[in-house]
Amino acid sequence: MTRISIDPVTRLEGHGKIEIILDDAGDVEHTYFQIPELRGFEAFCVGRPVEDMPALTNRICGVCPEAHHMAAAKAADAVYNVTVPRTGRMLRELLYNAFYVTDHATHFYVLSGPDLIMGPDAPKSERNILGVVKKVGVEVGGKVIDARKAGHRVIEIIGGRRIHPCTGVPGGMTKAISEEERDEIKALADGMVEFAGFSLDLFDSMLADEAIEEIVKGDLYTHQTYYSGLVDENDKVTFYDGQVKVVAPDGEIHGQYEPKDYRDWISEKVEPWTFLKFPYLKKVGWKGLVDGKDSGMYTVAPLGRLNVASGMATPKAQEAYEKYFATLSPKGTPVHSRGATHWARLIELMQAAETVQALVNDPEITSPDVRAIPTQTPTEGVGTVEAPRGTLTHHYWTDENGVVTRVNLIVGTTNNYGPIAMSVDKAARSLISKGTVVTEGLLDRIEMGFRAYDPCFGCATHTMPGQMPMVVTIRDRDGNPLEELRRD
Amino acid sequence: MISAVEPGAAYGLRFAEPGHTIVVGLGNPILGDDGVGWRVIDELDALDHEEASLQQACVGGVSLMELLVGYRRAIIVDAIIDPTAAPGSVWRRPLTAVETRVASHLDSTHDAPLPAAIEAGRAMGADLPSDIEIVGIVIERGDVFGEQLSDIVAAAVPVAAAAVVGALRGLRPSSPQGEPVHA
Repeated sequence: MTRISIDPVTRLEGHGKIEIILDDAGDVEHTYFQIPELRGFEAFCVGRPVEDMPALTNRICGVCPEAHHMAAAKAADAVYNVTVPRTGRMLRELLYNAFYVTDHATHFYVLSGPDLIMGPDAPKSERNILGVVKKVGVEVGGKVIDARKAGHRVIEIIGGRRIHPCTGVPGGMTKAISEEERDEIKALADGMVEFAGFSLDLFDSMLADEAIEEIVKGDLYTHQTYYSGLVDENDKVTFYDGQVKVVAPDGEIHGQYEPKDYRDWISEKVEPWTFLKFPYLKKVGWKGLVDGKDSGMYTVAPLGRLNVASGMATPKAQEAYEKYFATLSPKGTPVHSRGATHWARLIELMQAAETVQALVNDPEITSPDVRAIPTQTPTEGVGTVEAPRGTLTHHYWTDENGVVTRVNLIVGTTNNYGPIAMSVDKAARSLISKGTVVTEGLLDRIEMGFRAYDPCFGCATHTMPGQMPMVVTIRDRDGNPLEELRRD
Repeated sequence: MISAVEPGAAYGLRFAEPGHTIVVGLGNPILGDDGVGWRVIDELDALDHEEASLQQACVGGVSLMELLVGYRRAIIVDAIIDPTAAPGSVWRRPLTAVETRVASHLDSTHDAPLPAAIEAGRAMGADLPSDIEIVGIVIERGDVFGEQLSDIVAAAVPVAAAAVVGALRGLRPSSPQGEPVHA
């Protein structure tokens, strides 16, 4: 039978290729983690009204359209230099935090959770969502589905659609919510907070397993990089808006800046072997795919966000944050183990759920004042949010009629491309020595390494839907293939 | 227990009573031929039939499974890259005859494969269709941004729509492995 998949994954032209080059002694000399590319998104946007961008860009990716919608709406606000009314902003944040609940729940239980809940040594055939349901019980699976449903319902009420919201426009939102809708969201929010608490308790119980503790605390996926993420006016983790804060591997503050100034802080390194550029800290400099304080490599997403902030913005999440640092870094310096990202993600899940609860109980949440009509001549604007997978920046330039003339996007996963490549390299080195390749665990270790980052290569290369088959080719120094491992 | 999502509501398409058939057009409408599933749904909508709920979506795995909850039958229309088949050709197969990824999340960085998501959904008590069929339209590439279909894939849209209508009216593929559809 012809090999065909209905999963959209195989509709990508290329594979996520990993090339491992061995030196003459048979040890790993280089590991190249390559990603296929889609072309033409910026050109596709040029010539369109900037108010179309929130609807258009949320089609870039099927995984996190809400993040692109929000970043685009904020960039369009900036293009028109318009301030969103308080209720409009609260509705955006409410929608966005509900999205975080669905996204983080899916990642933990469907994608990364199987490694942890089933244990890294469980047979591959059991390390999946089915195995999780069998192990933790059908009722837990039901909680996950209910949490996703609750998040999607909030997105539908505020965003107009369950997937691909359409209500964010320059200056605010196109519609308010009714008191009945507010009451429905209130009930859903209470369930979200309960679910987040259950998930944190589950994680606590899992840490008693030595193998899981090794993933969370161990050295295999540890890299001493810089960290970057948005913080609010109180230096707490924020997803919708704030300043970008960067800390060094030892916790020293490297800098803090307005997102619109990103080009003063971030540069991108082009390597000939991959389509994706490697962002790095401009003021530290590019030293290659290496960690340490002299290398401009930085990490974003949950690990980065918790490392840069002085705490969480909500009480239960703050409690979990304190336990996280007390366990992993009692001195409060950055946590470097990539496996800790899973824990950090659940703490963020709690903050998102509590934020939904807080916002929906605000007396002004049903106010009809949700949009300020833009009146200024459009020019240029930057919109930045924390996407689940890292800092997402949309930068648009327009003519005086608001027609887009240029676009630049830096998406969450792109920021993490360097650290992901480093984790893949480290996993390869752990299983290849003196010409001996432990093929059995190689693909699993590599995948567990990059899955902690929750990478969306769809976004990073502007592809849909962000899934990726994998091919690992091991070559000698002259480029001759020695072995090929595939997972299609 | 999972309850049905609101079929068809997302894109304002008319739909039949939940518990019947859903037709899902999958793809990304701004990725050229990748969006052919959406165009087939548009074509079906224009036919003004009342036999199924119509849905356009660019989701996979668990999200796609959730779209199917509450229906007795599902037909999924999707773009397919198949180097052995001519672009623009159309085929129908039951889901069980389509080789998909093994039921393991390891094969995906972002979602479970549809068969695994369906199996997990059933294990959690979701009411999912017992009959899921795929109508695939072969495309050459789906990696370039654009809102237009290529001529050859555009020509396949009515063929695929007719295949869906045939499926809705009870016409079955001649073999359990599925069959090509001819204009």
